[in-house]
Amino acid sequence: MKMFTIIFFSINVLQNAICLDYDGWLNIKVEHTLNCKYEEYCARGSISLKSIRTGIPVIDQINFNDGHINELKIAKVDGIYALRTLVSTAESKDVEIISFVRAKRFLESGLSDIIRAWVLPNGEVIALSLQVANTSQPKNIEYKSSEYKLNSTFYIRHVDPAPLPDTASYIQKLEREKEAREKGELKDNRSFLAKYWMYIVPIAIFVMISGAANPEPAAQAAR
Amino acid sequence: MGVLSSNLKPSFLGLLKFLNNMNWFIVFFSLINISVCIYEDQIGKFDWRQTYVGRIKFAQFDTVSTAKKIIVATEENVLAALNLKTGQVVWRHVFETASTGNIQLLHVGEKVTTVTGSNPYLVRGWDSNTGVLIWEWSLTVQNDLTEYSQWWVQNNMLVHVLPVFGSHIEVTMYNLLTGSNRGASSMLPAIWTNERCILTAPHYTCISGPLESQLLLSIDVTSNAVKIISKPLTDYVDIQQTVSVNLRPLGGNSIIPGFVLGNDKIVFIRDNNFEKSKVQLGDKSASATVVDGANGHILVQTWMDDVTGFTLTADSVSTGKEVTDIYCSDKTLNIPKPELLAVMCTRTSREQNACRLLINAADDAVHLMQQGGRALWAREEALSRARAVEFVELPVSDTDAALESEFDQKEGSVWSAFARRLLTQYQQLQNLIRSLQGESAVQKTPSSLVRDYFNLHRIIVIVTDAGKIFGIDNLSGEILWRRYEAGLSAQSASVFTRRSARTPPHHAHLSVVATQRDTGNGFILSLNPITGELIDEGKLILNVRLLQCMMLHVPDSEKLHALVLLDEKENVLVLPSSAAPLVEDVYMYVAEKDTAKVQGYSLRFDGKGVRAQRTWAARLGGAGAARVAATATRSRLEHVRAPGRALADRSVLYKYSNPNLVLFVVERLDPLYKEEVVAVALDVVSGALAGAAAHRRARALPLAAHADNCFVYLYRSEKHRRLELATMELYEGKERWLEPGVPFSSLESNQVPIVEHQAFILPATPTAAAFTITERSLTDRHVLLGLSSGAVVELPWAYLEARRDESLPVAAPELPLPADATLNYNRTLQRVSALHAAPAGLESTSLVLVTGLDLFYTRVAPSKTFDLLKDDFDYYLITIVLSALIVATYSTKYFASRKMLKQAWK
Repeated sequence: MKMFTIIFFSINVLQNAICLDYDGWLNIKVEHTLNCKYEEYCARGSISLKSIRTGIPVIDQINFNDGHINELKIAKVDGIYALRTLVSTAESKDVEIISFVRAKRFLESGLSDIIRAWVLPNGEVIALSLQVANTSQPKNIEYKSSEYKLNSTFYIRHVDPAPLPDTASYIQKLEREKEAREKGELKDNRSFLAKYWMYIVPIAIFVMISGAANPEPAAQAAR
Repeated sequence: MGVLSSNLKPSFLGLLKFLNNMNWFIVFFSLINISVCIYEDQIGKFDWRQTYVGRIKFAQFDTVSTAKKIIVATEENVLAALNLKTGQVVWRHVFETASTGNIQLLHVGEKVTTVTGSNPYLVRGWDSNTGVLIWEWSLTVQNDLTEYSQWWVQNNMLVHVLPVFGSHIEVTMYNLLTGSNRGASSMLPAIWTNERCILTAPHYTCISGPLESQLLLSIDVTSNAVKIISKPLTDYVDIQQTVSVNLRPLGGNSIIPGFVLGNDKIVFIRDNNFEKSKVQLGDKSASATVVDGANGHILVQTWMDDVTGFTLTADSVSTGKEVTDIYCSDKTLNIPKPELLAVMCTRTSREQNACRLLINAADDAVHLMQQGGRALWAREEALSRARAVEFVELPVSDTDAALESEFDQKEGSVWSAFARRLLTQYQQLQNLIRSLQGESAVQKTPSSLVRDYFNLHRIIVIVTDAGKIFGIDNLSGEILWRRYEAGLSAQSASVFTRRSARTPPHHAHLSVVATQRDTGNGFILSLNPITGELIDEGKLILNVRLLQCMMLHVPDSEKLHALVLLDEKENVLVLPSSAAPLVEDVYMYVAEKDTAKVQGYSLRFDGKGVRAQRTWAARLGGAGAARVAATATRSRLEHVRAPGRALADRSVLYKYSNPNLVLFVVERLDPLYKEEVVAVALDVVSGALAGAAAHRRARALPLAAHADNCFVYLYRSEKHRRLELATMELYEGKERWLEPGVPFSSLESNQVPIVEHQAFILPATPTAAAFTITERSLTDRHVLLGLSSGAVVELPWAYLEARRDESLPVAAPELPLPADATLNYNRTLQRVSALHAAPAGLESTSLVLVTGLDLFYTRVAPSKTFDLLKDDFDYYLITIVLSALIVATYSTKYFASRKMLKQAWK
């Protein structure tokens, strides 16, 4: 029973952490510029989420063939690999967002990328950032087979509601101080030395210096 | 008698003695300078303020009061009195910027009267000496078409004329002091009124009728009996001209009602009749008025043309003869489109005219002239609407330049280098001898515009709305050069220092990228910021609108940074075109203000030209309606040297110091929460989002600033009905992502920084915000806020830090604005519109220019002047102490040796 309450509580906390007004679905059509016949952009796949709150994506993408790879290699010099996404939610339809990576880096990573979608509290996507995943694989991967699988990772990132000016805790602090003042000043329970060391040390030094200087004339007098 | 004198004598002596004592007291007290504030002696030492009033709309000479003044009302909704002798502001009232502050009428009689606002109107009376408000009453007109209202003052009555087109004219008179109505409004039948009408008080004059038989009609609106003067227009102008004949009233408070008809005809209205003037207009664009001269009325005209330059003429109205003592024609005077604002002529003893003419120009400058065209003073009112500001470094002195060129030479043998070294050292020796002879002052005067040791002396280049560009000395506030470009619209101007004066033999190069006034096309002006002369491509007007402009980060072989311009057809223009191959790995962004759509472009040179390719696009407001309220970019002048900050537990927190971040403050409409403000920190190279925050039920203010990893923006919280200031900081964390020394690349990183947020309540209304900038960003950072109260306050970033140490006590949620944080102490700055900061050569100091209706320059030291000796540093004391110590050391040495000797003899 205790376990259950803890789980229930943690789920609640999670829900609060993700600041969405209401849950909804999200569908992202992913298009790219590679191996297209007539159009500028052609389909690469789609990412769909049943619930933005859970953030679990279903990624359905084509596999790259030699045509794709060759085009990527042509662009490798210092070209870019651009991704056009059409984002649809319950509220809006086909909002065009474009993002890109360097083609060279994309090839080096073994066609693995990270897509981050930034979502407003009302569930609308404002920006997508496409980044190449850091892989431990060697930099010169050879593309020899006929089909290559795309390795995409998708994350939802939430635009957090910004904090309000922290008036509550400040008022609490003031109240606490007021209470303390009413009770009388807090008793200082430090030791005598801890309290007045800054007065004692100079005196001690002064005594030591004068003590060190004095013996000499005394010795002379004895002679 | 003797008794009396002996009695008086001691008391008289006593009195004398007493007076003597008093005298000493007076002398003594007069030596003490009473100070009423701390650092009073530093007022104006590092700062200056210039007060402006804006482009003048109405002006009248105040001849009633003893101190001669000119009362002016301006388009910036300012009422002010200018000193007749110096042109300085005697007093000034700044009204609201909205239409409620719009000045409709200025009348100077015994008191100054103004009508401001637009239905309801406010009628106010001011004391002309002090500017104190004497009376005020409001007036609401029960009519919707009040925008064609005309006002004037006649016999202590305020007359309001409201034409109702096609039917009648409504005339209402009010008592000027009380506002009591003399009777109901009278309706004058005027079925002919159309839009070509003017008021030539007390007559209302129109051109009306079908094209072939147009009539010139005039009606005296104040007379009890309705009298309409009606004449065919062809009596006055040629039939060919009547198609679109021009009708405008005489300017400058003309004392006879009259108007200018067509290109050159002047017609007066006298005894209920039109009377053709004997004198014709000298030029189509001339401004004319009638004043009372030495021998009757004279008609004064002024214009500017290419042949004769500035021309001022005067003719007698009754005889048509020219009044020669006023005439002036000067090619050197540059007063574009002169307009007579007010003219006053008095008779001298020799029946001569002594005139004062106040002339307004198209460049918003106002000139006061004497008869004969002698300028008494001029005010550059264009500076009240500054749009873009750049601090320009001064060139090094000739000797320093020679020294630097010595190290620049790469070719040449050892011997030539040695010879050059000898030569420069000979020059330095010469300079030294010359300076010892006291000739340094002579040497300095012709080239005083040289860089000082701490690089505090700059030229501030200001581009104004009127299209006038100024070069101002930052230490004195003196205008060094000015340049007027009639076609330049500075609404969205940017200024780039493409080559600093640091690179002799090349001169400094500054470019202004603006738009052309009529077409909105690109307008590029290249000039030498030290002299104000056009250089290189000079004035370049493109035939396409520009989307974005930037300065290339790498200089070409002549150390000139190229301008890269992106036009609306997404074509790229590189200036100079020879620098196109340098465009490599260049990225640009374009934000649509009304939709919050932001796009990024990658620019590359493909062998022939530079091509822009769209690489990313984002909708910062989502799919719904949104607008960008403010953007903030990092200053080009900022170089960050500190990679992290030390925490209380002595560990280091590394900053996410991405130079490509831009802060967008977007206001969007949310169906649930109404307005919402979204602040987005976007990497404009990769299009990746670094941090964002949403504020519900808030409206954005167009104020944001960004420096290093800090962001600050302001918004109005609709829920709490207050202004709030939000800050955002980005951190990498306790571990550094990149090795030290590795350059940052937006495209290589795939990590997301930690974002810290904080919000504060601001108990004031800000109108401008900026960060201070120092040479190496090691000094503390302060936020400067221009407030509507006329103060510019300095807030330490430590108060605003988004990242709060848990160990520190809870900060007050309401920001303190202590009086000693005000930069401009008691010098109120009206309508602060922008704050500009630039680093000085000293790390501790940042130079600040505040623009708005006033200009204010100062320098700030956020961490105090740690690298500078104090002003009151006692050089004498330290010299005396040092020399005394040396003397004491040697004398004790001497005495000690003597003592040793004596002891040895014992």
